[in-house]
Amino acid sequence: MKSRIALVIAIATLAGSAIAGSKGNEAKGKFYFRQNCKQCHTKGAVGGEITPLNKKITQWHSYFETGKHGNGKEPLTKYLTPEQLRDVQAFLEAHAADSLQPETCGK
Amino acid sequence: MNRRHFLGFAVTGAAGATLASVSYLPPWSSREKTAEVQRKEIPTTCEMCVNKCSIIAVVENGNILKLNPNPESPRSRGMVCARGNAGLQQVYDPARLKKPLLRTGARGEGKWKAVSWDEAWDFAASKLSEVKQKYGPQASIWSSTESFAETFFKNLGLAFGSPNVERHPTLCLASVNLAYSLTFGTVPSFDLANANYIIMSGANRLESFIMPDTVDLIGSTTERKARLIYLDPRFTVTASKADEWYPLRPHSDLAFILALINVIVSENRYDKQFVTAFTVGMDQLAEHVKPFTPEWAEVETEIPARDIRRIAREFSDAAPRAVYYAGRRSSWYRDDFHMRRAQAILNAIVGNWDRQGGMVPNAKITLGELMFLPWDDPQAPRVDEMEKNFPLAAKGDGAYLKMRENILAGVPYPVKAWMVHKQDPMNALPEQSKTLRMIEQMDFIGVIDVQMSDTAWYADVVFPESTYLERHDPIEMLAGIQPVVVMRQPVIPPLHDTKPTLEIVQGLAKRLGLGQYFDYTVEQWNEAQAKELPIDAPLDYLRKHGVWSPPDAPKYGTTLTAEHRFGTESGKIELYSARLKQFGYDPLPVYTTPSQPPPGKFRLILGRKAYFTQANTTNNAWLNTFQPENRLWIHPKAASGIGVRDSDLVQVTSAAGSIRVKARVSEEIRPDCVFTLHGYGKKSQWQRLAAGEKSGGCDAEIIETAWDTVSGGGAFHETFVKVTKV
Repeated sequence: MKSRIALVIAIATLAGSAIAGSKGNEAKGKFYFRQNCKQCHTKGAVGGEITPLNKKITQWHSYFETGKHGNGKEPLTKYLTPEQLRDVQAFLEAHAADSLQPETCGK
Repeated sequence: MNRRHFLGFAVTGAAGATLASVSYLPPWSSREKTAEVQRKEIPTTCEMCVNKCSIIAVVENGNILKLNPNPESPRSRGMVCARGNAGLQQVYDPARLKKPLLRTGARGEGKWKAVSWDEAWDFAASKLSEVKQKYGPQASIWSSTESFAETFFKNLGLAFGSPNVERHPTLCLASVNLAYSLTFGTVPSFDLANANYIIMSGANRLESFIMPDTVDLIGSTTERKARLIYLDPRFTVTASKADEWYPLRPHSDLAFILALINVIVSENRYDKQFVTAFTVGMDQLAEHVKPFTPEWAEVETEIPARDIRRIAREFSDAAPRAVYYAGRRSSWYRDDFHMRRAQAILNAIVGNWDRQGGMVPNAKITLGELMFLPWDDPQAPRVDEMEKNFPLAAKGDGAYLKMRENILAGVPYPVKAWMVHKQDPMNALPEQSKTLRMIEQMDFIGVIDVQMSDTAWYADVVFPESTYLERHDPIEMLAGIQPVVVMRQPVIPPLHDTKPTLEIVQGLAKRLGLGQYFDYTVEQWNEAQAKELPIDAPLDYLRKHGVWSPPDAPKYGTTLTAEHRFGTESGKIELYSARLKQFGYDPLPVYTTPSQPPPGKFRLILGRKAYFTQANTTNNAWLNTFQPENRLWIHPKAASGIGVRDSDLVQVTSAAGSIRVKARVSEEIRPDCVFTLHGYGKKSQWQRLAAGEKSGGCDAEIIETAWDTVSGGGAFHETFVKVTKV
């Protein structure tokens, strides 16, 4: 019985790791967002200002599921690799309008 | 202390230290004969407490003579407090850290060898690498407290691959931050300068923390005759200046607040227009508070029902210039979050949000950021298991006490290395015996600090950081009703073989193979930050003035529009929190009658004096003179019951430990409580003025381990103690 429990835990842990692994890196996502997206998506620029607060978590999720840029005209992969897009998605969802971001002391 | 005495003390004090040297100060007589005095006035930023006031250092011939306030800062407004003045002592403390040190005796024995920076870095890097190889990067803790350079230290821990960056907020304002974040989506400032009615629970602002908004409070209560209602088991300085003081039964603040809400709701005194437009959950709140009448609260709090009812009416009449002040303290009890939430809800329903004299969302100034591609995410979960234990709390901060419990239990994995930046967990954490046990099981401990803290005293390697008057730091934006950007720059070169945090981090990073993540200078960092400021040559401006703030007057009401989305799940102010319910917490604050000390025991309560920043400045030669000895406050009735008279030595014992301290017998405290200060009874013999029993007992030895269940913030008023005459 013990070994079966251990096996279940091991599988659950592996599954958890796989899920965690598939999630993007928020810090890298911020870097790619600023380096690529912000070139056009700032106030007064051609794409208009975009920040994580523009959408809710589910809206960002749908946006990246669809994977289209420029009102559906082109794929997002024209600008970033799938891995980089996962990172950007992680950043935008983590700071979305309805995300949980309790403030802290200092930084 | 005059200069001659100070020098005499400096030499005497340093004689016992391995690294004695006062050669940096020229003899007084030769200074007097200097033909040409080179005098400079250099603006910079104080680091003696969290407020970070702007100051101007007066420097003559390389010596700092004085630290003056900088009148250009709208944040500090020409003020500098006792601590700010005494910052000079941090530089000229003869027992400060002057060179990197390697431990040569047992931990805590105080035997050290001065080494070169290369030796210190090599040693630390090899020990950290050993731990990483044997246990993985997650087997390291990176502890820090707020400072402008904290980012560099945190980033080193993350780049190393550890998820365990453990910041200070769960020993500080975690419950306040979380309660206000979940209610308003942000933590506001309180406009004490313009409020007409202020209620404070235990936030002893006229004694514990003298900042510009303390002066606002003094101005409000004395000149504008704002009404101050103060609740505290102790008769503090704030109590003495308040219009009304209620020595309420400890742990009943929440009952008082719920009763205020009960009166305001049942008598239709809340701001209906505001509540309708900007909040969710009023119906659930109204139903929830029905049982919490003033008569019910009188039994819990010992505050007369007629006073509770009157205060509720006065508070709502004075709104929006009425605030229940959130406080600047750590958590007190296991349900602290709910008490802070109740405050936030009370403030919300009277419509004081974003109004002059009410609560104001902090204005911010956008700074740039140095761009670099960061490291991969740590693979392991946090050792404090934040996701499981405190799913709503700020994950990047960690939960200090749960972390220590898990490390001691060896779950979910072993932790064997501890790096500490500027913090002193030996004093900051309750139940010091547990911290010592955690230290014992570490293969490596490294500390970065300016002084030999108690934690440094138990370290294997100590990296001496240059003091804030000897170094550049990242420029910093300080949010507030009137936000500022401040510059910290050296006013003198380092007196000793010390370095700023970034250079210490870079030395370690290079040896850990992580140099690419720290390949920049603080100047480059600052250039990237400053370029977003809407002024010409922003860095030059900051070097010259030390501070910049937008010229506009404080703005009120910017969030009071139909389009504004609050940073909550619903986008509104959440009186009722569906998010709390979703995570298994009470969506509205629930009060449980607290347990009280059994016969023969007292509740231990804590507080601060404005001379001292936590445990960091009790050894400051100037500040220590204000209060060289800690004492235990005890009521005369309680004292006579155990045969104790004023100044008697008493033994104070809890389940966590036992200390000896002299009694201060006074009617200024409830008979069921005792009180003591923080930062005395230190272990580090380099902190001569605050070390050992002669300075009074160390509170960290007797406070028991407990935490607020939602935020993970240490609950510091949950300890019952026995007091006996020695």
